[in-house]
Amino acid sequence: MADFYQTGTITTLHRLGKPSLERIEAELNEYSKTRPVALVLPALYSEFEGKAMPKIIEELAKVTYINKIILVLAKASEKEFVRVKELMSPIPYDVKVVHNDGKRIKEIYNTFSRNDLDPGADGKGRSAWLAYGYVIADGVCDVIALHDCDILTYSREMLARLCYPVVHPNLDYVFCKGFYSRVTDKMHGRVTRLLITPLVRCLRTLTENHPFLVFLDSFRYPLAGEFCMTTDMARVNRIPWDWGLEVGALAEVYRNYSPRRICQADIMDTYEHKHQILSAEDPAKGLMKMTVDICKSIFRTLASEGVVFSDGFFKTLQVAYLRMAEDTIMKFEADAAINGLTFDRHEEAKAVEAFTNGIGMAAQAFFENPMGSALIPNWNRVTSAIPGILDMLKKAVDEDNR
Amino acid sequence: MEGFIDLVMEPIKEVFIKFRLFLPNFLAMLTIVVLGLFLAWITKKILSKVLNVLRFDSWCDKTSITAMMRKGDIWTKPSDVLVSAIFWLFTIVSVMVGFSALNIHAINNLVTQFFLYLPSALSAVLILLIGYMVSGFLSRAALIAAVNGGLSYAKFLANAVRLLLAVLFFAMALEQLNVAPNIVVSAFTIIFGGIVIALAISFGIAGIETAKKIIEGKEAEPGNDKKGDVEHI
Repeated sequence: MADFYQTGTITTLHRLGKPSLERIEAELNEYSKTRPVALVLPALYSEFEGKAMPKIIEELAKVTYINKIILVLAKASEKEFVRVKELMSPIPYDVKVVHNDGKRIKEIYNTFSRNDLDPGADGKGRSAWLAYGYVIADGVCDVIALHDCDILTYSREMLARLCYPVVHPNLDYVFCKGFYSRVTDKMHGRVTRLLITPLVRCLRTLTENHPFLVFLDSFRYPLAGEFCMTTDMARVNRIPWDWGLEVGALAEVYRNYSPRRICQADIMDTYEHKHQILSAEDPAKGLMKMTVDICKSIFRTLASEGVVFSDGFFKTLQVAYLRMAEDTIMKFEADAAINGLTFDRHEEAKAVEAFTNGIGMAAQAFFENPMGSALIPNWNRVTSAIPGILDMLKKAVDEDNR
Repeated sequence: MEGFIDLVMEPIKEVFIKFRLFLPNFLAMLTIVVLGLFLAWITKKILSKVLNVLRFDSWCDKTSITAMMRKGDIWTKPSDVLVSAIFWLFTIVSVMVGFSALNIHAINNLVTQFFLYLPSALSAVLILLIGYMVSGFLSRAALIAAVNGGLSYAKFLANAVRLLLAVLFFAMALEQLNVAPNIVVSAFTIIFGGIVIALAISFGIAGIETAKKIIEGKEAEPGNDKKGDVEHI
């Protein structure tokens, strides 16, 4: 069982005692009558061939408070799109499958391009953004929940706990991020444990506790891909299309809302999904690509907040980070020992070295192009540039699902 | 025997003479059609480039013309649709002009009718386009006015305005195309008149009190709010 300690500037909702799923779902059924919930699922076709998706569909079929599912399907042919619609058919409520590679959606992307709006490269960020557009166009749901489609340990309790703080009218949070432990026989989540936390804490020292860093440090698992928010937030927030998605999205939440209305919830005991390779030699893929994108996103957010970066700053940061990450490894080694978990100290040290190089690469990229941003424009700006775009998007999705 | 050969040759000669007379016309038709097709193709290419330079597609996106096309499930670029329409117009016109060069009475009549009908068809398209824009604008205006007036059925009202105007402009376009004009006018009068009468009756029955207040210029009665009450924390 977790403790009840509150960390940082946001609210932490722990998993205390044995919370009843039936009670939470009964309340959600009631609240969702006035605050309908849409669930966004960014998915690849390959995920339907894996172990996770059948279990997710089975669990989602039992959920009764979700008004609509918007599944954005990427890397799928026309035949595979039809197959996915069939696979989603056991879900008894409205399911819309957005065919990212379909004729109509491609034309929607072309419309963005010719109006100088860049939705970025294909990926989770762009898929999520497009789904938000559909929810806004549909005009029915007030709340949007999102989770990945590769969760092997999925249960509907996770979704209920994620939605509860935003759907509950008295709690009235606008954004809830999920957190969970990433433990099997060993600790996973290397990027969060060994990159984000030590990096953010070093940056806090170097910037005299910049409020954004305090905010970011408040999250137990800032890279968690599961969150729930109000539809209004989806309208005003810009989201990155690269690996900086989670951190960039938190930066937008910080920019637009008070931390008093932000929370994080312990959504499940343990979370297991597909793991990324480190790829220390190739910064264009694996965890190294993730490292560079995340660091660039943090640096650019801080620069936009008025933090001045110099060559000396980054040199100091790299040295300070390396020291703090090494100290962190020792802490995790002790934690693993007391819990009888496998702990490969050498592998962890190699990861830290790779992350240190990644910070250097991100610093270099920042100096070369401090303005370069992977942010997709928010829907308010898009509808201002193309007034009929939401109608077009809705028509495209509805026609594809007819 | 000679008589028999003459009997056989006479029609062949006649056909040959007719064909000799017809051949220049036929060649003229072919020339006109080929030139017309070439002109249509050149126009298509030039227009495509010009529209691209003028950012026509972007303009259509901004003025919601693209959205109107998408409603009709047309998913090609607006410029491609316009260019194709002009290409086919040129092609049809050149074929019609070519046919008229054949100098056949029946075809000449058909061509004349086609050219007489063309302005009506263009007017109908123009009416539909203007109608779409006007109905969109007035529906938006109704929505804003209704929302500002605090009406809970603002969206329904805006949709009703859009639908009524769409019916009006569609009837105008059909009338312009001369498609069963009597039926169109009668049907439109009955439907539109029916809707207005229904609205008048329903307002007369259900909204008599409101109408009375409006006419008398009475303001809404003050609510139960009491000064000094704490409204929120």
